[in-house]
Amino acid sequence: MRARINTLAHVAAFMTVLGGLGWLLMRGSDSLNYPWHWERIPDFIYTWDEQGFTPGPLLEGLWVTIKISAVSLLLAFVFGLVTALLRLSDSFVGRFLARVYLETIRNTPLLTQILVMYFLFAPLLGLDAVTSGVLALSLFEGAYGSEIIRAGIVSIDKGQWEAAHSLGLSTSQTYRKIVLPQALRRVLPPLASLAVTLVKDSALVSAIAVAELSKQGAIIVARYWLTFETWFTVAALYLCLTIPLSLLALMLERRIKVRS
Amino acid sequence: MPDKDSCATNPRTGDVIVEAQGLTKVFANGVKALDDFSLTVCQGEVVVVIGPSGSGKSTFLRCLNGLEEIDAGRIVIDGVELNHSKKNRRAIRTEVGMVFQSFNLFPHMTVLGNINLAQELVRGKTRGDATDTTMALLDKVGMAERADSYPAQLSGGQQQRVAIARALAMHPKVMLFDEATSALDPEVIGEVLGVMADLAREGMTMIVVTHEMGFAREAGDRVVFMEHGAMVEQGPVEPFFDAPAHERTQTFLQQIV
Ligand SMILES: Nc1ncnc2c1ncn2[C@@H]1O[C@H](COP(=O)(O)OP(=O)(O)OP(=O)(O)O)[C@@H](O)[C@H]1O
Ligand SMILES: [Mg+2]
Repeated sequence: MRARINTLAHVAAFMTVLGGLGWLLMRGSDSLNYPWHWERIPDFIYTWDEQGFTPGPLLEGLWVTIKISAVSLLLAFVFGLVTALLRLSDSFVGRFLARVYLETIRNTPLLTQILVMYFLFAPLLGLDAVTSGVLALSLFEGAYGSEIIRAGIVSIDKGQWEAAHSLGLSTSQTYRKIVLPQALRRVLPPLASLAVTLVKDSALVSAIAVAELSKQGAIIVARYWLTFETWFTVAALYLCLTIPLSLLALMLERRIKVRS
Repeated sequence: MPDKDSCATNPRTGDVIVEAQGLTKVFANGVKALDDFSLTVCQGEVVVVIGPSGSGKSTFLRCLNGLEEIDAGRIVIDGVELNHSKKNRRAIRTEVGMVFQSFNLFPHMTVLGNINLAQELVRGKTRGDATDTTMALLDKVGMAERADSYPAQLSGGQQQRVAIARALAMHPKVMLFDEATSALDPEVIGEVLGVMADLAREGMTMIVVTHEMGFAREAGDRVVFMEHGAMVEQGPVEPFFDAPAHERTQTFLQQIV
Protein backbone atom coordinates (compact mmCIF):
# COMPACT_ATOMS: atom_id res chain seq x y z
CA MET A 1 0.00 0.00 0.00
CA ARG A 2 2.73 2.38 0.98
CA ALA A 3 4.65 1.44 -2.16
CA ARG A 4 1.57 2.22 -4.27
CA ILE A 5 1.14 5.68 -2.74
CA ASN A 6 4.80 6.28 -3.36
CA THR A 7 4.44 5.30 -7.00
CA LEU A 8 1.41 7.56 -7.38
CA ALA A 9 3.33 10.44 -5.89
CA HIS A 10 6.14 9.84 -8.35
CA VAL A 11 3.78 9.69 -11.28
CA ALA A 12 2.13 12.94 -10.15
CA ALA A 13 5.50 14.64 -9.83
CA PHE A 14 6.50 13.40 -13.26
CA MET A 15 3.29 14.70 -14.80
CA THR A 16 3.73 18.10 -13.18
CA VAL A 17 7.24 18.43 -14.53
CA LEU A 18 6.12 17.28 -17.95
CA GLY A 19 3.22 19.74 -17.92
CA GLY A 20 5.52 22.55 -16.85
CA LEU A 21 7.92 21.76 -19.65
CA GLY A 22 5.09 21.65 -22.17
CA TRP A 23 3.86 25.02 -21.01
CA LEU A 24 7.34 26.52 -21.32
CA LEU A 25 7.62 25.12 -24.82
CA MET A 26 4.28 26.56 -25.86
CA ARG A 27 5.28 29.95 -24.58
CA GLY A 28 8.61 29.63 -26.34
CA SER A 29 7.04 28.73 -29.65
CA ASP A 30 4.39 31.44 -29.21
CA SER A 31 7.02 34.07 -28.83
CA LEU A 32 8.80 32.61 -31.85
CA ASN A 33 5.55 32.64 -33.71
CA TYR A 34 6.22 29.05 -34.67
CA PRO A 35 3.71 27.66 -37.14
CA TRP A 36 2.86 24.19 -35.84
CA HIS A 37 1.98 21.61 -38.45
CA TRP A 38 1.59 18.38 -36.54
CA GLU A 39 -0.93 17.19 -39.12
CA ARG A 40 1.86 16.64 -41.65
CA ILE A 41 3.88 14.35 -39.40
CA PRO A 42 1.88 11.07 -39.74
CA ASP A 43 2.73 10.90 -43.44
CA PHE A 44 6.39 10.79 -42.56
CA ILE A 45 5.74 7.83 -40.33
CA TYR A 46 3.55 5.76 -42.60
CA THR A 47 0.81 6.03 -45.20
CA TRP A 48 -2.19 3.78 -45.56
CA ASP A 49 -4.00 3.99 -48.87
CA GLU A 50 -5.21 1.77 -51.72
CA GLN A 51 -1.65 0.51 -52.17
CA GLY A 52 -1.77 -0.67 -48.61
CA PHE A 53 0.69 0.09 -45.85
CA THR A 54 3.78 2.10 -46.83
CA PRO A 55 6.32 2.98 -44.15
CA GLY A 56 7.38 6.59 -44.27
CA PRO A 57 10.97 7.81 -43.96
CA LEU A 58 10.82 7.94 -40.17
CA LEU A 59 9.66 4.36 -39.82
CA GLU A 60 12.24 3.26 -42.35
CA GLY A 61 14.88 5.15 -40.41
CA LEU A 62 13.70 3.51 -37.20
CA TRP A 63 14.05 0.11 -38.82
CA VAL A 64 17.62 0.91 -39.96
CA THR A 65 18.42 2.12 -36.43
CA ILE A 66 17.08 -1.13 -35.00
CA LYS A 67 19.13 -3.21 -37.42
CA ILE A 68 22.32 -1.21 -36.89
CA SER A 69 21.87 -1.35 -33.12
CA ALA A 70 21.13 -5.07 -33.03
CA VAL A 71 24.13 -6.05 -35.13
CA SER A 72 26.40 -3.60 -33.29
CA LEU A 73 25.20 -4.94 -29.96
CA LEU A 74 26.09 -8.48 -30.95
CA LEU A 75 29.48 -7.45 -32.31
CA ALA A 76 30.14 -5.21 -29.31
CA PHE A 77 29.50 -8.17 -27.05
CA VAL A 78 32.02 -10.25 -28.98
CA PHE A 79 34.62 -7.46 -28.93
CA GLY A 80 33.95 -6.87 -25.25
CA LEU A 81 34.24 -10.52 -24.30
CA VAL A 82 37.42 -11.10 -26.30
CA THR A 83 39.01 -7.93 -24.93
CA ALA A 84 38.09 -8.82 -21.36
CA LEU A 85 39.59 -12.28 -21.76
CA LEU A 86 42.74 -10.86 -23.35
CA ARG A 87 43.16 -8.36 -20.53
CA LEU A 88 42.96 -11.19 -18.01
CA SER A 89 45.16 -13.58 -19.99
CA ASP A 90 48.72 -14.59 -19.25
CA SER A 91 49.86 -13.38 -22.64
CA PHE A 92 51.74 -10.10 -22.51
CA VAL A 93 51.01 -9.36 -26.16
CA GLY A 94 47.32 -10.05 -25.65
CA ARG A 95 47.12 -7.77 -22.64
CA PHE A 96 49.05 -5.06 -24.46
CA LEU A 97 46.82 -5.16 -27.55
CA ALA A 98 43.67 -5.06 -25.43
CA ARG A 99 45.05 -2.09 -23.56
CA VAL A 100 45.93 -0.14 -26.71
CA TYR A 101 42.44 -0.78 -28.12
CA LEU A 102 40.75 0.31 -24.91
CA GLU A 103 42.74 3.48 -24.44
CA THR A 104 42.38 4.52 -28.06
CA ILE A 105 38.64 4.06 -28.04
CA ARG A 106 38.01 5.61 -24.68
CA ASN A 107 40.12 8.68 -25.29
CA THR A 108 38.76 9.77 -28.65
CA PRO A 109 35.24 10.95 -29.54
CA LEU A 110 32.91 8.43 -31.15
CA LEU A 111 32.16 10.83 -34.00
CA THR A 112 35.85 11.00 -34.86
CA GLN A 113 36.06 7.23 -34.79
CA ILE A 114 33.11 6.92 -37.15
CA LEU A 115 34.62 9.45 -39.55
CA VAL A 116 38.06 7.82 -39.44
CA MET A 117 36.49 4.44 -40.03
CA TYR A 118 34.50 5.71 -42.99
CA PHE A 119 37.01 7.95 -44.70
CA LEU A 120 40.22 6.10 -43.85
CA PHE A 121 39.57 2.40 -43.32
CA ALA A 122 36.42 1.85 -45.37
CA PRO A 123 38.11 2.57 -48.73
CA LEU A 124 41.05 0.35 -47.77
CA LEU A 125 38.82 -2.53 -46.70
CA GLY A 126 36.10 -1.89 -49.23
CA LEU A 127 33.36 -1.28 -46.66
CA ASP A 128 30.13 0.59 -47.30
CA ALA A 129 28.77 3.29 -45.03
CA VAL A 130 26.48 1.03 -43.01
CA THR A 131 29.21 -1.52 -42.36
CA SER A 132 31.73 1.14 -41.33
CA GLY A 133 29.11 2.67 -39.06
CA VAL A 134 28.29 -0.65 -37.45
CA LEU A 135 31.96 -1.48 -37.04
CA ALA A 136 32.82 1.88 -35.46
CA LEU A 137 29.83 1.68 -33.17
CA SER A 138 30.55 -1.85 -32.01
CA LEU A 139 34.24 -1.18 -31.48
CA PHE A 140 33.27 1.81 -29.36
CA GLU A 141 30.65 0.09 -27.21
CA GLY A 142 32.75 -3.09 -27.10
CA ALA A 143 35.48 -1.20 -25.27
CA TYR A 144 33.04 -0.20 -22.54
CA GLY A 145 31.44 -3.63 -22.60
CA SER A 146 34.81 -5.24 -21.98
CA GLU A 147 35.26 -3.29 -18.77
CA ILE A 148 31.85 -4.43 -17.57
CA ILE A 149 32.53 -8.05 -18.47
CA ARG A 150 35.97 -7.95 -16.92
CA ALA A 151 34.51 -6.65 -13.67
CA GLY A 152 32.03 -9.53 -13.75
CA ILE A 153 34.78 -12.10 -14.29
CA VAL A 154 37.01 -10.86 -11.50
CA SER A 155 34.03 -10.75 -9.14
CA ILE A 156 33.75 -14.54 -9.30
CA ASP A 157 35.18 -16.17 -6.20
CA LYS A 158 38.68 -17.61 -6.56
CA GLY A 159 37.36 -20.84 -5.05
CA GLN A 160 35.38 -21.48 -8.23
CA TRP A 161 38.59 -21.49 -10.26
CA GLU A 162 40.33 -23.69 -7.76
CA ALA A 163 37.50 -26.20 -7.60
CA ALA A 164 37.37 -26.39 -11.40
CA HIS A 165 41.12 -26.71 -11.73
CA SER A 166 41.30 -29.33 -9.03
CA LEU A 167 38.83 -31.40 -11.07
CA GLY A 168 41.18 -31.20 -14.05
CA LEU A 169 39.26 -28.61 -16.08
CA SER A 170 41.39 -26.45 -18.36
CA THR A 171 41.30 -22.67 -18.24
CA SER A 172 39.04 -22.43 -21.27
CA GLN A 173 36.70 -25.10 -19.92
CA THR A 174 36.55 -23.26 -16.62
CA TYR A 175 35.71 -20.01 -18.39
CA ARG A 176 33.04 -21.61 -20.53
CA LYS A 177 31.32 -23.75 -17.94
CA ILE A 178 31.95 -22.09 -14.61
CA VAL A 179 33.11 -18.49 -14.72
CA LEU A 180 31.37 -16.89 -17.71
CA PRO A 181 27.89 -18.27 -17.00
CA GLN A 182 28.06 -16.76 -13.52
CA ALA A 183 29.89 -13.56 -14.49
CA LEU A 184 27.62 -12.68 -17.42
CA ARG A 185 24.52 -13.25 -15.35
CA ARG A 186 25.91 -10.79 -12.85
CA VAL A 187 26.67 -8.07 -15.41
CA LEU A 188 23.48 -8.39 -17.44
CA PRO A 189 21.97 -5.18 -15.98
CA PRO A 190 24.94 -2.93 -16.87
CA LEU A 191 25.15 -4.61 -20.27
CA ALA A 192 21.49 -3.79 -20.86
CA SER A 193 22.23 -0.17 -19.91
CA LEU A 194 25.07 -0.22 -22.41
CA ALA A 195 22.57 -1.34 -25.05
CA VAL A 196 20.53 1.80 -24.32
CA THR A 197 23.64 3.93 -24.81
CA LEU A 198 24.36 2.12 -28.04
CA VAL A 199 20.92 2.86 -29.47
CA LYS A 200 21.39 6.54 -28.68
CA ASP A 201 24.95 6.65 -30.02
CA SER A 202 23.80 5.04 -33.25
CA ALA A 203 22.42 8.49 -34.19
CA LEU A 204 25.99 9.56 -34.84
CA VAL A 205 26.36 7.33 -37.88
CA SER A 206 24.05 9.79 -39.63
CA ALA A 207 27.27 11.75 -40.08
CA ILE A 208 28.33 9.31 -42.77
CA ALA A 209 24.98 9.42 -44.57
CA VAL A 210 23.51 6.22 -43.21
CA ALA A 211 19.76 6.63 -43.52
CA GLU A 212 18.89 5.82 -39.94
CA LEU A 213 16.32 7.58 -37.80
CA SER A 214 18.24 10.78 -37.08
CA LYS A 215 19.36 11.15 -40.68
CA GLN A 216 15.79 10.80 -41.90
CA GLY A 217 14.74 13.38 -39.37
CA ALA A 218 17.42 15.77 -40.59
CA ILE A 219 16.33 15.30 -44.19
CA ILE A 220 12.70 16.08 -43.36
CA VAL A 221 13.68 19.17 -41.42
CA ALA A 222 15.91 20.40 -44.24
CA ARG A 223 13.17 19.90 -46.79
CA TYR A 224 9.96 20.85 -45.01
CA TRP A 225 11.01 23.06 -42.10
CA LEU A 226 9.01 21.05 -39.59
CA THR A 227 11.81 21.38 -37.08
CA PHE A 228 10.03 20.94 -33.76
CA GLU A 229 7.46 18.40 -34.89
CA THR A 230 10.07 16.21 -36.55
CA TRP A 231 12.60 16.18 -33.76
CA PHE A 232 9.93 15.55 -31.14
CA THR A 233 8.70 12.62 -33.18
CA VAL A 234 12.23 11.31 -33.67
CA ALA A 235 12.85 11.57 -29.92
CA ALA A 236 9.62 9.70 -29.22
CA LEU A 237 10.64 6.94 -31.60
CA TYR A 238 14.02 6.61 -29.85
CA LEU A 239 12.17 6.39 -26.55
CA CYS A 240 10.14 3.50 -27.95
CA LEU A 241 13.43 1.61 -28.27
CA THR A 242 15.26 2.75 -25.18
CA ILE A 243 12.50 2.65 -22.57
CA PRO A 244 11.88 -1.09 -22.95
CA LEU A 245 15.63 -1.67 -22.80
CA SER A 246 15.95 0.47 -19.68
CA LEU A 247 13.06 -1.37 -18.08
CA LEU A 248 14.73 -4.65 -18.96
CA ALA A 249 17.94 -3.49 -17.29
CA LEU A 250 15.99 -2.45 -14.21
CA MET A 251 14.12 -5.73 -14.06
CA LEU A 252 17.29 -7.76 -14.42
CA GLU A 253 18.92 -5.78 -11.67
CA ARG A 254 15.97 -6.37 -9.34
CA ARG A 255 15.91 -10.07 -10.08
CA ILE A 256 19.61 -10.48 -9.45
CA LYS A 257 19.37 -8.52 -6.21
CA VAL A 258 16.58 -10.74 -4.96
CA ARG A 259 18.53 -13.88 -5.82
CA SER A 260 21.73 -12.99 -4.01
CA MET B 1 59.87 -41.89 8.34
CA PRO B 2 58.19 -44.03 5.68
CA ASP B 3 60.03 -44.60 2.46
CA LYS B 4 59.58 -47.06 -0.39
CA ASP B 5 60.53 -49.96 1.84
CA SER B 6 58.33 -49.13 4.79
CA CYS B 7 55.35 -48.56 2.46
CA ALA B 8 55.83 -52.05 1.09
CA THR B 9 56.36 -53.71 4.46
CA ASN B 10 53.36 -52.05 6.15
CA PRO B 11 50.45 -54.50 5.78
CA ARG B 12 47.94 -51.61 5.85
CA THR B 13 49.39 -49.86 2.82
CA GLY B 14 50.62 -50.31 -0.74
CA ASP B 15 53.40 -48.64 -2.69
CA VAL B 16 54.47 -45.05 -2.44
CA ILE B 17 51.88 -42.83 -4.09
CA VAL B 18 52.79 -39.29 -3.05
CA GLU B 19 56.35 -38.19 -2.82
CA ALA B 20 57.10 -34.61 -1.83
CA GLN B 21 60.75 -33.73 -1.43
CA GLY B 22 62.28 -30.52 -0.17
CA LEU B 23 59.27 -28.37 -1.02
CA THR B 24 59.88 -24.67 -0.67
CA LYS B 25 57.32 -22.02 -1.41
CA VAL B 26 57.92 -18.32 -1.05
CA PHE B 27 54.98 -16.05 -1.82
CA ALA B 28 55.36 -12.77 -3.69
CA ASN B 29 55.12 -10.89 -0.39
CA GLY B 30 58.19 -12.72 0.89
CA VAL B 31 56.36 -15.14 3.21
CA LYS B 32 58.07 -18.51 3.23
CA ALA B 33 55.06 -20.82 3.53
CA LEU B 34 56.97 -24.05 2.94
CA ASP B 35 60.55 -24.50 3.99
CA ASP B 36 62.22 -27.67 2.76
CA PHE B 37 59.18 -29.77 3.58
CA SER B 38 59.18 -33.46 2.67
CA LEU B 39 56.50 -36.11 3.00
CA THR B 40 56.01 -39.56 1.53
CA VAL B 41 52.55 -41.13 1.56
CA CYS B 42 51.77 -44.76 0.85
CA GLN B 43 48.80 -46.05 -1.06
CA GLY B 44 45.81 -46.43 1.23
CA GLU B 45 47.36 -44.41 3.99
CA VAL B 46 45.51 -41.66 5.85
CA VAL B 47 47.87 -38.88 6.87
CA VAL B 48 46.56 -36.18 9.16
CA VAL B 49 48.40 -32.86 8.98
CA ILE B 50 48.13 -30.54 11.95
CA GLY B 51 49.86 -27.35 12.96
CA PRO B 52 49.19 -23.77 14.05
CA SER B 53 47.55 -21.24 11.76
CA GLY B 54 49.92 -20.06 9.05
CA SER B 55 52.20 -23.07 9.35
CA GLY B 56 51.76 -23.90 5.65
CA LYS B 57 49.26 -26.78 5.77
CA SER B 58 47.01 -25.38 3.08
CA THR B 59 49.96 -24.32 0.98
CA PHE B 60 51.30 -27.86 1.09
CA LEU B 61 48.01 -29.34 -0.13
CA ARG B 62 47.67 -26.68 -2.80
CA CYS B 63 51.16 -27.40 -4.08
CA LEU B 64 50.36 -31.10 -4.31
CA ASN B 65 47.73 -30.54 -6.97
CA GLY B 66 49.42 -27.63 -8.65
CA LEU B 67 47.20 -24.82 -7.39
CA GLU B 68 50.42 -23.18 -6.17
CA GLU B 69 53.76 -23.51 -7.89
CA ILE B 70 56.69 -24.62 -5.78
CA ASP B 71 59.94 -22.67 -5.84
CA ALA B 72 62.10 -25.66 -5.03
CA GLY B 73 61.66 -29.37 -4.47
CA ARG B 74 59.97 -32.21 -6.26
CA ILE B 75 56.46 -33.63 -6.26
CA VAL B 76 55.76 -37.08 -7.68
CA ILE B 77 52.23 -38.49 -7.69
CA ASP B 78 51.87 -42.13 -8.63
CA GLY B 79 55.10 -42.04 -10.60
CA VAL B 80 54.31 -38.80 -12.47
CA GLU B 81 56.37 -35.77 -11.58
CA LEU B 82 54.52 -32.47 -11.38
CA ASN B 83 56.30 -30.03 -13.67
CA HIS B 84 55.62 -26.74 -15.37
CA SER B 85 53.76 -28.10 -18.37
CA LYS B 86 50.05 -27.33 -18.32
CA LYS B 87 49.16 -30.76 -19.63
CA ASN B 88 51.07 -32.46 -16.85
CA ARG B 89 49.40 -30.28 -14.24
CA ARG B 90 45.98 -31.12 -15.55
CA ALA B 91 46.85 -34.81 -15.58
CA ILE B 92 47.93 -34.67 -11.95
CA ARG B 93 44.96 -32.58 -10.88
CA THR B 94 42.69 -35.14 -12.42
CA GLU B 95 44.26 -37.85 -10.27
CA VAL B 96 44.22 -35.79 -7.08
CA GLY B 97 40.87 -34.90 -5.54
CA MET B 98 40.56 -31.84 -3.35
CA VAL B 99 37.93 -30.83 -0.82
CA PHE B 100 37.93 -27.20 0.31
CA GLN B 101 36.90 -25.56 3.54
CA SER B 102 34.40 -23.41 1.62
CA PHE B 103 32.95 -26.30 -0.46
CA ASN B 104 33.24 -24.33 -3.71
CA LEU B 105 30.32 -26.00 -5.40
CA PHE B 106 29.28 -24.42 -8.71
CA PRO B 107 26.20 -22.40 -7.72
CA HIS B 108 24.65 -22.27 -11.19
CA MET B 109 24.51 -26.04 -11.52
CA THR B 110 22.47 -28.66 -9.74
CA VAL B 111 24.12 -31.25 -7.54
CA LEU B 112 23.96 -33.67 -10.46
CA GLY B 113 25.46 -31.09 -12.81
CA ASN B 114 28.26 -30.33 -10.38
CA ILE B 115 29.30 -33.96 -10.19
CA ASN B 116 28.73 -34.86 -13.85
CA LEU B 117 30.66 -31.90 -15.24
CA ALA B 118 34.27 -33.05 -14.97
CA GLN B 119 33.39 -36.67 -15.68
CA GLU B 120 32.06 -35.61 -19.05
CA LEU B 121 34.51 -32.80 -19.78
CA VAL B 122 37.72 -34.31 -18.49
CA ARG B 123 37.09 -38.05 -18.47
CA GLY B 124 35.05 -37.95 -21.66
CA LYS B 125 32.19 -40.01 -20.24
CA THR B 126 28.73 -39.92 -21.76
CA ARG B 127 25.99 -38.14 -19.83
CA GLY B 128 24.42 -41.50 -18.97
CA ASP B 129 27.62 -43.08 -17.65
CA ALA B 130 28.46 -39.97 -15.66
CA THR B 131 24.99 -39.89 -14.15
CA ASP B 132 25.28 -43.53 -13.08
CA THR B 133 28.53 -42.80 -11.27
CA THR B 134 27.09 -39.64 -9.78
CA MET B 135 23.99 -41.32 -8.43
CA ALA B 136 26.02 -44.14 -6.88
CA LEU B 137 28.28 -41.60 -5.17
CA LEU B 138 25.37 -39.48 -3.99
CA ASP B 139 23.87 -42.58 -2.50
CA LYS B 140 27.12 -43.26 -0.70
CA VAL B 141 27.27 -39.78 0.84
CA GLY B 142 23.56 -39.88 1.65
CA MET B 143 22.51 -37.20 -0.82
CA ALA B 144 20.72 -39.21 -3.53
CA GLU B 145 17.43 -37.41 -2.94
CA ARG B 146 18.99 -34.02 -3.56
CA ALA B 147 20.46 -34.64 -7.02
CA ASP B 148 18.30 -31.91 -8.56
CA SER B 149 18.84 -29.32 -5.85
CA TYR B 150 21.01 -26.26 -6.30
CA PRO B 151 23.86 -25.72 -3.83
CA ALA B 152 22.15 -22.70 -2.27
CA GLN B 153 19.27 -24.97 -1.23
CA LEU B 154 21.56 -27.24 0.80
CA SER B 155 23.01 -26.96 4.29
CA GLY B 156 26.76 -26.63 4.71
CA GLY B 157 27.14 -30.26 5.67
CA GLN B 158 25.14 -31.36 2.66
CA GLN B 159 27.16 -29.12 0.35
CA GLN B 160 30.40 -30.54 1.66
CA ARG B 161 29.19 -34.10 1.16
CA VAL B 162 28.33 -33.21 -2.43
CA ALA B 163 31.78 -31.65 -2.85
CA ILE B 164 33.34 -34.89 -1.63
CA ALA B 165 31.23 -36.89 -4.10
CA ARG B 166 32.27 -34.49 -6.86
CA ALA B 167 35.95 -35.10 -6.16
CA LEU B 168 35.43 -38.86 -5.88
CA ALA B 169 33.69 -38.97 -9.24
CA MET B 170 37.07 -38.54 -10.94
CA HIS B 171 38.27 -41.74 -9.22
CA PRO B 172 41.25 -39.92 -7.75
CA LYS B 173 44.28 -41.76 -6.48
CA VAL B 174 44.67 -39.35 -3.59
CA MET B 175 42.16 -37.16 -1.78
CA LEU B 176 43.21 -33.92 -0.12
CA PHE B 177 41.00 -32.39 2.57
CA ASP B 178 41.74 -28.82 3.66
CA GLU B 179 39.82 -28.22 6.88
CA ALA B 180 36.75 -29.75 5.32
CA THR B 181 34.66 -29.26 8.45
CA SER B 182 35.94 -25.91 9.72
CA ALA B 183 33.18 -23.88 8.08
CA LEU B 184 30.39 -26.14 9.35
CA ASP B 185 27.97 -25.81 12.22
CA PRO B 186 28.92 -28.21 15.02
CA GLU B 187 25.83 -30.35 14.57
CA VAL B 188 26.66 -31.24 10.96
CA ILE B 189 30.41 -31.80 11.34
CA GLY B 190 29.74 -35.42 12.25
CA GLU B 191 27.98 -36.30 8.99
CA VAL B 192 30.95 -35.07 6.95
CA LEU B 193 33.54 -36.72 9.16
CA GLY B 194 31.50 -39.92 8.89
CA VAL B 195 31.78 -39.86 5.11
CA MET B 196 35.51 -39.23 5.38
CA ALA B 197 35.98 -42.09 7.83
CA ASP B 198 34.09 -44.42 5.48
CA LEU B 199 36.44 -43.44 2.69
CA ALA B 200 39.44 -44.10 4.86
CA ARG B 201 38.11 -47.53 5.73
CA GLU B 202 37.65 -48.34 2.07
CA GLY B 203 41.34 -47.78 1.51
CA MET B 204 41.37 -44.30 -0.07
CA THR B 205 44.71 -42.55 0.20
CA MET B 206 44.02 -39.33 2.08
CA ILE B 207 45.94 -36.31 3.28
CA VAL B 208 43.73 -34.52 5.78
CA VAL B 209 44.32 -31.11 7.31
CA THR B 210 41.99 -30.90 10.29
CA HIS B 211 41.52 -29.75 13.85
CA GLU B 212 39.31 -32.76 14.61
CA MET B 213 41.58 -34.88 16.78
CA GLY B 214 38.84 -37.46 17.29
CA PHE B 215 38.79 -38.08 13.56
CA ALA B 216 42.59 -38.23 13.46
CA ARG B 217 42.63 -40.91 16.13
CA GLU B 218 39.82 -42.92 14.64
CA ALA B 219 40.62 -42.79 10.93
CA GLY B 220 44.24 -41.66 10.70
CA ASP B 221 47.29 -43.83 10.22
CA ARG B 222 49.89 -41.17 10.72
CA VAL B 223 50.04 -37.62 12.04
CA VAL B 224 52.31 -34.88 10.76
CA PHE B 225 52.92 -31.76 12.81
CA MET B 226 54.00 -28.68 10.86
CA GLU B 227 55.30 -25.31 11.96
CA HIS B 228 56.75 -22.41 9.95
CA GLY B 229 56.47 -24.45 6.76
CA ALA B 230 58.58 -27.29 8.08
CA MET B 231 57.89 -30.66 9.64
CA VAL B 232 58.41 -30.72 13.37
CA GLU B 233 57.44 -34.30 14.04
CA GLN B 234 55.48 -37.18 12.57
CA GLY B 235 54.49 -40.66 13.61
CA PRO B 236 51.73 -43.27 13.89
CA VAL B 237 48.58 -41.85 15.47
CA GLU B 238 48.56 -43.51 18.90
CA PRO B 239 52.14 -42.82 19.96
CA PHE B 240 51.98 -39.37 18.41
CA PHE B 241 49.04 -38.27 20.54
CA ASP B 242 49.96 -40.22 23.66
CA ALA B 243 53.63 -39.39 23.77
CA PRO B 244 54.70 -36.65 21.39
CA ALA B 245 58.46 -36.39 21.30
CA HIS B 246 58.80 -32.72 20.56
CA GLU B 247 58.11 -29.99 23.06
CA ARG B 248 56.39 -27.78 20.45
CA THR B 249 54.06 -30.65 19.61
CA GLN B 250 53.18 -31.13 23.27
CA THR B 251 52.33 -27.45 23.68
CA PHE B 252 50.26 -27.43 20.51
CA LEU B 253 48.30 -30.54 21.47
CA GLN B 254 47.59 -29.14 24.91
CA GLN B 255 46.27 -25.94 23.35
CA ILE B 256 43.79 -27.60 21.04
CA VAL B 257 42.46 -30.30 23.34
N1 LIG C 1 48.45 -16.32 -1.72
C1 LIG C 1 49.25 -15.98 -0.69
N2 LIG C 1 50.00 -14.87 -0.79
C2 LIG C 1 50.82 -14.52 0.23
N3 LIG C 1 50.97 -15.19 1.37
C3 LIG C 1 50.24 -16.31 1.53
C4 LIG C 1 49.34 -16.75 0.50
N4 LIG C 1 48.75 -17.89 0.93
C5 LIG C 1 49.25 -18.14 2.16
N5 LIG C 1 50.15 -17.20 2.52
C6 LIG C 1 50.94 -17.17 3.76
O1 LIG C 1 51.65 -18.38 3.84
C7 LIG C 1 51.66 -18.85 5.17
C8 LIG C 1 51.10 -20.24 5.21
O2 LIG C 1 49.74 -20.18 4.90
P1 LIG C 1 48.79 -21.45 4.88
O3 LIG C 1 47.46 -20.97 4.41
O4 LIG C 1 49.43 -22.53 4.12
O5 LIG C 1 48.71 -21.83 6.42
P2 LIG C 1 47.78 -22.88 7.14
O6 LIG C 1 48.67 -23.76 7.91
O7 LIG C 1 46.86 -23.52 6.18
O8 LIG C 1 46.98 -21.95 8.13
P3 LIG C 1 45.46 -22.06 8.62
O9 LIG C 1 45.43 -23.08 9.71
O10 LIG C 1 45.16 -20.69 9.13
O11 LIG C 1 44.64 -22.43 7.44
C9 LIG C 1 50.89 -17.85 6.00
O12 LIG C 1 51.80 -16.98 6.60
C10 LIG C 1 50.05 -17.13 4.98
O13 LIG C 1 49.81 -15.82 5.39
MG1 LIG D 1 44.77 -23.48 5.84
